[in-house]
Amino acid sequence: MQNLHRQTLIGLFAVVAGLFLMIVAIPNWVSSPSNVRNIILSPVFWPYTLSALTIVIGLGLTITGHFSSEDMSQEKAEIPGGYGRLVIMAVVMVIYMFGLPRLGMVWTSMLAFVATAFLVRTSHPKTAVICALCVPLILYGFFAHVASVAIPQGNFVRLP
Amino acid sequence: MSLMDSILAGLSLVGNFEAFFALFAGVAIGTIAGAIPGMSATMAVALTLPFTFSMQPIIAILLLLGVYKGGIFGGSIPAILIKTPGTPASSATVLDGYPLAEKGQAGKALGMALWASCTADLISNLALILFAGWLASFALNFGPPEFFTLILFSLTIIAGVSGASLLRGALSAMLGLLLATVGLDLVYGTNRFTFGDPSMMGGLNFIAVLIGLFAIPEVLAMVWDPKPHKGQTRSLGDNKVTFGEYKRCFKSIVRGSFIGVFLGSIPGIGAAPSAFLSYSEARRKSPNRDNFGKGELEGVAASEAGNNGVAGATLIPLLALGVPGDVITAIIIGAFMVHGLQPGPMMFILNVDIIYGLFIGLIVSSVFLFFIGSVAIRGFKYVADIPRGVLFPGVLVLCVYGVFAVNNNIFDVGVMFVMGWVGFVMLRNDIPAAPFLIAFILGPLLEDNFRQAMLMSGSSPTILFRGPITWFFWGLTVLTVIAIIRAGIRATRTLKRRA
Repeated sequence: MQNLHRQTLIGLFAVVAGLFLMIVAIPNWVSSPSNVRNIILSPVFWPYTLSALTIVIGLGLTITGHFSSEDMSQEKAEIPGGYGRLVIMAVVMVIYMFGLPRLGMVWTSMLAFVATAFLVRTSHPKTAVICALCVPLILYGFFAHVASVAIPQGNFVRLP
Repeated sequence: MSLMDSILAGLSLVGNFEAFFALFAGVAIGTIAGAIPGMSATMAVALTLPFTFSMQPIIAILLLLGVYKGGIFGGSIPAILIKTPGTPASSATVLDGYPLAEKGQAGKALGMALWASCTADLISNLALILFAGWLASFALNFGPPEFFTLILFSLTIIAGVSGASLLRGALSAMLGLLLATVGLDLVYGTNRFTFGDPSMMGGLNFIAVLIGLFAIPEVLAMVWDPKPHKGQTRSLGDNKVTFGEYKRCFKSIVRGSFIGVFLGSIPGIGAAPSAFLSYSEARRKSPNRDNFGKGELEGVAASEAGNNGVAGATLIPLLALGVPGDVITAIIIGAFMVHGLQPGPMMFILNVDIIYGLFIGLIVSSVFLFFIGSVAIRGFKYVADIPRGVLFPGVLVLCVYGVFAVNNNIFDVGVMFVMGWVGFVMLRNDIPAAPFLIAFILGPLLEDNFRQAMLMSGSSPTILFRGPITWFFWGLTVLTVIAIIRAGIRATRTLKRRA
């Protein structure tokens, strides 16, 4: 029941996404040379075909969901504080991403490790802090000195 | 090049300490990762991939294949000891493995799982060696129209068999195909959804999409619902599996291996259905059928043979046709591409040394699996005790390092995070991620072959029906679509009846 209810919503999303692609995204963000004589060889042909198929699949999902006797009241159980933690995690990821070139990958990773460990309510906080210090350093050692990857060092403390 | 020359060429590539060490390390990493509840063989292969960039192609691929094989076996350890399958493929092992552990015969169940896994793995590898070359020589006759129909057929199977809802699998595949259109156009070189950003002109990075889809959602799921893994670890007991017991189960092991080989060689089926089919066949044929589900050693043997029989066989379509058999081989295809190799029939001509090197490595991996598996069974307690509150932050950091290392580009890290959220939303809505990834990999190949075929024929679609091979794949595609639609209608009716 619950699956079918979700199926309708997923189907509607697919239809809207397909229409958005066909009406807005492809005409604006896919460039095609003016001298293409046959539409089949045009760069827009494949995206249009896939968008049309997405709409067809979306309609299929909507119809199979719609004709069921779905119960809107039955939803997946909410986890207390779940959405709040997800929002914090999204913020951690944004800071992680923007902190990489400024603070350096090692130091940002240490902070992200600690933040994530406390976000998932680790029952081993001391182990988490020790691992937060060690794991990014070990990975730095491997990638920078074995695999010769230029790991971002940041503007403050540089590692050998 | 004669067969002996090919074998010698392969041996010259892998007959060194580095290659064997990579294989050994791969099997060990895979076994440990598979045994950790919450990790999976897919995640293990995905996270190992960035570490292979600086290696030689053959060493890198052997390492990844080792992780794959170890991961499939490793999943059976928690399935038996704590009733939590480490990988979906080990779900059938729980049915008789855990009851045996409850009876104090965990050592026997794990021993049989190991023997059955190694036997099935060996049979599967031999099947790969026998059939891949033959299939590749047949596929040498393929041109763009044949490849287009083959990839289309592979996509219909993958969309159809992954997950509970067939339409959701198809939607997932469609989203993957759409995402694969990002970047410069293959023929005209014009921009498609690049928004003028040079980082997007080469398309979205495969590793970033892969790790984003398969590792980050697990971290987010842990953030959403932080819970330690439950389940009491059973002790191994003193009992070991005897040769007599292995002999008694041998028929089921061989049958399960062949089921695994057959299902594994069809793109998209995967190890879990094979394990369940092997288990049900063993129960149907066994004189002890009443004991199945209550702690029957033959049940463990059959399910493990079923899921390990797939491991070598999924490489048949990968190596011979360049089409992934399941999501892990899709990642391995990515590894081939990262190292400048294109799996497919031409590889049997251009890189025959690598092909035979892989064959030799795969045979050796069965031996390594036996020894590493024996140790892993005893060491499981320490692996199971890794706190999830430390494991998942570690996975997050590993993902960031790994994805950055591909192109030294922070943009890829952003792509990974975005794909992680996409994967999490898909996970929450029971939309399978596997068809997305496989379609993302096959998408450019599908479009490229289609447009090449159209260029060849002056845009006449009749070229897509030009010979018996294309007709064969069109026939299979139509049959699969009909089967998918019928199964979908049946599933909807069942759900309506329950409602």
